[in-house]
Amino acid sequence: MASPPVTPTEVAGRRQRAFQRRRDRRGLWFVLPFFVVFLMFLVVPLAYSVYTSFFTTRMIGGTVFTGFSNYTQALGDGAFWTGMGRTFLFAAIQVPVMVIIATFFATIFDMGVARFGGAFRAVFFLPFAVPGVVATAMWGSMLQTNVGVFVRVFLDLGLPNPNFFGPGHLLGVIVVIAIWEWTGFTIILLYTALKSVPREVVESAIVDGAKFSRIVTRIKLPIIRPAIILVVIINAIGALQLFTEPYLLSPMAPNVSANYTPTVYMYNEAFSAYSYDFAAAIAVVLAFIIILISAAFLLSQRRKGALV
Amino acid sequence: MSIATAPVRAPKAYPRRNIGVTADVPLQLYGLHRRTINLVTLACGLFTLFTLIPIWWIFVSSSKTATNVNSTFGFWFAHPFVLWSNLKEVFTNREDGSFLQWLRNTAIYAGIGGIGATVLSAMAGYGFARFSFRGKNLLFISIMAALLIPIVAFAVPLYLVYAKVHMDSTMPAIFVPFMISPVSVYLMRVYAGGSVPRELIDAARVDGAGEAGIFVRIAVPLMVPALVTVFMLNVVSSWNNFFLPFIVNNSAKLYTLTQGLQVWFWHTNIAGTSENFTAITIAASMISIMPLLIMFIVLQRYWRGGLLLGGLTG
Repeated sequence: MASPPVTPTEVAGRRQRAFQRRRDRRGLWFVLPFFVVFLMFLVVPLAYSVYTSFFTTRMIGGTVFTGFSNYTQALGDGAFWTGMGRTFLFAAIQVPVMVIIATFFATIFDMGVARFGGAFRAVFFLPFAVPGVVATAMWGSMLQTNVGVFVRVFLDLGLPNPNFFGPGHLLGVIVVIAIWEWTGFTIILLYTALKSVPREVVESAIVDGAKFSRIVTRIKLPIIRPAIILVVIINAIGALQLFTEPYLLSPMAPNVSANYTPTVYMYNEAFSAYSYDFAAAIAVVLAFIIILISAAFLLSQRRKGALV
Repeated sequence: MSIATAPVRAPKAYPRRNIGVTADVPLQLYGLHRRTINLVTLACGLFTLFTLIPIWWIFVSSSKTATNVNSTFGFWFAHPFVLWSNLKEVFTNREDGSFLQWLRNTAIYAGIGGIGATVLSAMAGYGFARFSFRGKNLLFISIMAALLIPIVAFAVPLYLVYAKVHMDSTMPAIFVPFMISPVSVYLMRVYAGGSVPRELIDAARVDGAGEAGIFVRIAVPLMVPALVTVFMLNVVSSWNNFFLPFIVNNSAKLYTLTQGLQVWFWHTNIAGTSENFTAITIAASMISIMPLLIMFIVLQRYWRGGLLLGGLTG
């Protein structure tokens, strides 16, 4: 079949489209550098991790393929689940408490309710500049058994000697350290989200006679809900990988066991017991649990129509 | 309802001076009582106390001798005041490697990691925001999915891969992973999408500019606030990172500050080691947080927090 006559404008249009495609393909060149590093230093190790978790290295016989045996070992390992349970408890306390505190202060700063709000905001942000290692060293030294400054204050007041590193308090101490480290940053994230709520919305609510508390709970917080969800997820992912704080405290606090958290357990399996394959399986299981929880949380929020 | 009937309270309930002037809506319109404002300010004061206690403690303690750290009142100075000799000791003690070297290493890792992360994510963000090539969405989704992957999942394998290619305990082994920041790619995409007009790019193309030239001369200058924010975020997270260097590097010469401090801190807690380590470790910790605090203050006016989650509330 003969093709219909081509008008000059059609030729121009076709050329335009071809040109557009060629130019668009060039966008890939901007993305490529990041993606290459991403592949080499993140995706490859991840794949290697999954791969190696299917093998077992034995003293005699070398490395052999053992299928899911590392996983059945990890999933059936009481030591893993004890640490996992403790980490869940930690996350279940630390994340909500911190997000509530941060939301409270972010709202206050956004509405300009406190005196000297700007100064407070700057001070609260300071711990973000302090590495977790230093934060733990500071709090650990202050709470140290028998000699720490807080213990001495207790004793000087005639109160019983508080054993902050005892089995009942240790997790609480770590919760306090984590809250100290991350609240300021969380406040900034939520504050900036609150600041982007359109002024007209609040003004019309005031005109309609809405009270302060109603403006906060019915207008501002629902609008920044995606930001709150993101903050919860980011913090939960961090909390479930708990490592630096308990690891650093372990010489001071004998209650930090080799399986205190899954990450501590994985570290000890990899670098003290040299069972890299088993450590890889622990890491994969932990990652899987974290991804599952984040995804479930995201989906449950999406169903409520909260996510954009 | 008209403005005239809005619930404006009697003047005595108004907060007096500058309170609320920074808020978008004048506080008077909320009709809050002064007592509420005082309570809220008190809450801020208490949290300030909580925030500053460790910082004050470390500042005071770094001026004390090792015996005085725990034998005198922790929140006030004691005699003798040995801040300068402690600081000198920090920079001259070489028992487990040198603090100065850790400081230099960390500056290199955080600097290169921060610059690398900023350049890579600015390019990627611009590419995602202003082009539509095949497979774009798949690429973007796979990068965003990495947000959910815990660092734990690839740290040990990364070390094993490094060992395979004889890259373990080298500088790039530590700073290259710092350059991967999916959050930064997201922020850059949002920011480039909002700040680099398509018309400007098209006009430059008509004038015969190359894509690389357009990016460098037109897009980058428009993205400066985002670039500074992303750079700062990545410098801070690289500077403070402990887990990744701890796993992939075991050469004391290449230690980060956090790695070195961890070793020193453990020393102070293991019986039989030199007691003055307590004072040195405290002074070293104090020095290690100074560079970031200074950076915050210097770059404060560029710090566009609004960029962080602004794009999410739309």
